[in-house]
Amino acid sequence: MNQTVVSYLSQYEFYDVLLKLFGGNQGLLALTIYLLLGVAIIGMCATIGGLGTYAERKISADLQARIGPNRVGPYGLLQMLADGVKMMTKEDIMPFTADKMLFYLAPLLCLTGVFATLAVVPFSSGFIMADMNVGIFYLVAISSLVGVGVFLGGYASNSKWSMLGGMRGASQIISYEIPVTISLLAITLLAGGMGFGTIIGRQGGLPHQWFMFHNPFAFLATFVYFIGALAETNRAPFDLPEAESELVSGYHTEYTGMRFGFFALAEYIEVFVVCGVAAALFLGGYQIPGISIDILPLQAVQFVIFMTKTLMLYYVVIWIRWTLPRLRVDQLMSVCWKYLTPMAILNLVGCAIWMVAFDGQSIAEMILGGQH
Amino acid sequence: MFLQFLFISSAFLTIASAVAVLLTKNIMHSCVFLLASLIGVAGLYATLGADFVAVTQIMVYMGGVVILMLFAVMLTGGKDFISRAQNLLGLPASMGNRWTYGIGLIVGLVFLLTNIKLLMGITKSLPVKTITNEFPSTVNEIGHLLIKEHVLAFEISSVLLLGALVGAAIIARPRKQN
Repeated sequence: MNQTVVSYLSQYEFYDVLLKLFGGNQGLLALTIYLLLGVAIIGMCATIGGLGTYAERKISADLQARIGPNRVGPYGLLQMLADGVKMMTKEDIMPFTADKMLFYLAPLLCLTGVFATLAVVPFSSGFIMADMNVGIFYLVAISSLVGVGVFLGGYASNSKWSMLGGMRGASQIISYEIPVTISLLAITLLAGGMGFGTIIGRQGGLPHQWFMFHNPFAFLATFVYFIGALAETNRAPFDLPEAESELVSGYHTEYTGMRFGFFALAEYIEVFVVCGVAAALFLGGYQIPGISIDILPLQAVQFVIFMTKTLMLYYVVIWIRWTLPRLRVDQLMSVCWKYLTPMAILNLVGCAIWMVAFDGQSIAEMILGGQH
Repeated sequence: MFLQFLFISSAFLTIASAVAVLLTKNIMHSCVFLLASLIGVAGLYATLGADFVAVTQIMVYMGGVVILMLFAVMLTGGKDFISRAQNLLGLPASMGNRWTYGIGLIVGLVFLLTNIKLLMGITKSLPVKTITNEFPSTVNEIGHLLIKEHVLAFEISSVLLLGALVGAAIIARPRKQN
């Protein structure tokens, strides 16, 4: 069954009170709840994206023995607001020969693709906009809009740097989608469903119950997914589309002000989403260790657990960016096609065989089961 | 009400962008409008409760076909198509002339009337369905059907795709130097 946040809330008594307030019109109430929650989630994730730029600069400063932003607000925390004001007030320049419509459309496509993925990110068992049965599939599909945005941004600017950046971006996103999707498929096999609720429901709160440690193939799949996801979000060491030493700044060279800001924001939110998916699929998601009952106050605890896991992965992403050098284009493609894709297929077949051979038991279950 | 809202917006997106595909003269813009139209079709599937088909539509067309089209147009020079004086048959302008418009109109009318005649028969015999907010999952059913009843078609199409993949690899392979 497809669950939504509305059907979750309708279990409780205050839903009936709300329904009376709306004169019994269920559709209108559902629409209102969706709109309110949508605004809330987008606002929250935009803030996380903004704080991501701050974290990026602060962590990179730590790694390089610098100080980083420290002037605006305590510890420089309000730097993101200062950046926002700066971007808003900058002149909006468009190249004379640019394709006007596509130039305006490209950053919006990127942002739309990322925001659309937020609909299925499982913040807690109730606080998930739509727990669809096709959750992961939807996420993979809709996030390809970002690739279209990157590509069109590169094309519409009518500049050679942008063009090269856009082409690299699109080809990279298409290529790395394959190992990422196949790794996700392996987890789908373990869980027996594509919805996030189903997948997290099959895991437990403690590490030995996570899908990452379910079997050796799933353990490998975790790393294949994470490397592929880094490449899909165009993060270093895979940030070839915006390689500043060769392409000035790639597909968004010609963008100024808030239009550039949209691209940057989309990238940071996409990193958050990708980390959230990794946390949900491989690291047990929002599961609270030892507690399996579902009452409303526990949603907050689940939310905190999910956010902690996600933000730790976010830290790892930034850490990798400032530690590893950038790959060459041919190296990038050979990593994808010669190493990650065969490994992902091996993981898929391995997981399938494991499920049949050991009747779906994880390693921990077999060890602990032997003691009893 | 929620579903009506979704249906009307999806239908509007589909039709409006389909018309825009025809009206615009820039081939890159056509591709982008086509993308919007295909997303609208996915929305229509979703309102009918076919979640898996809707997402597959987005996956295949948005993630694959449209990006491939954009690549192809860009690599073959999209700008030159805007100011073409003649079409492939040597007729002036790409939008056709009196004769092509006339023939197109007649064919379109015949097609429309035939379709209306066919659809009238189908819609009359269908039971009236009330719109509910219940969306049962279609993933499991599709999986079972693909593996059990339609396994032959499934396997044949996968062999076909594998053949296409190998063929593409052979064409793109660097040739021996001599």
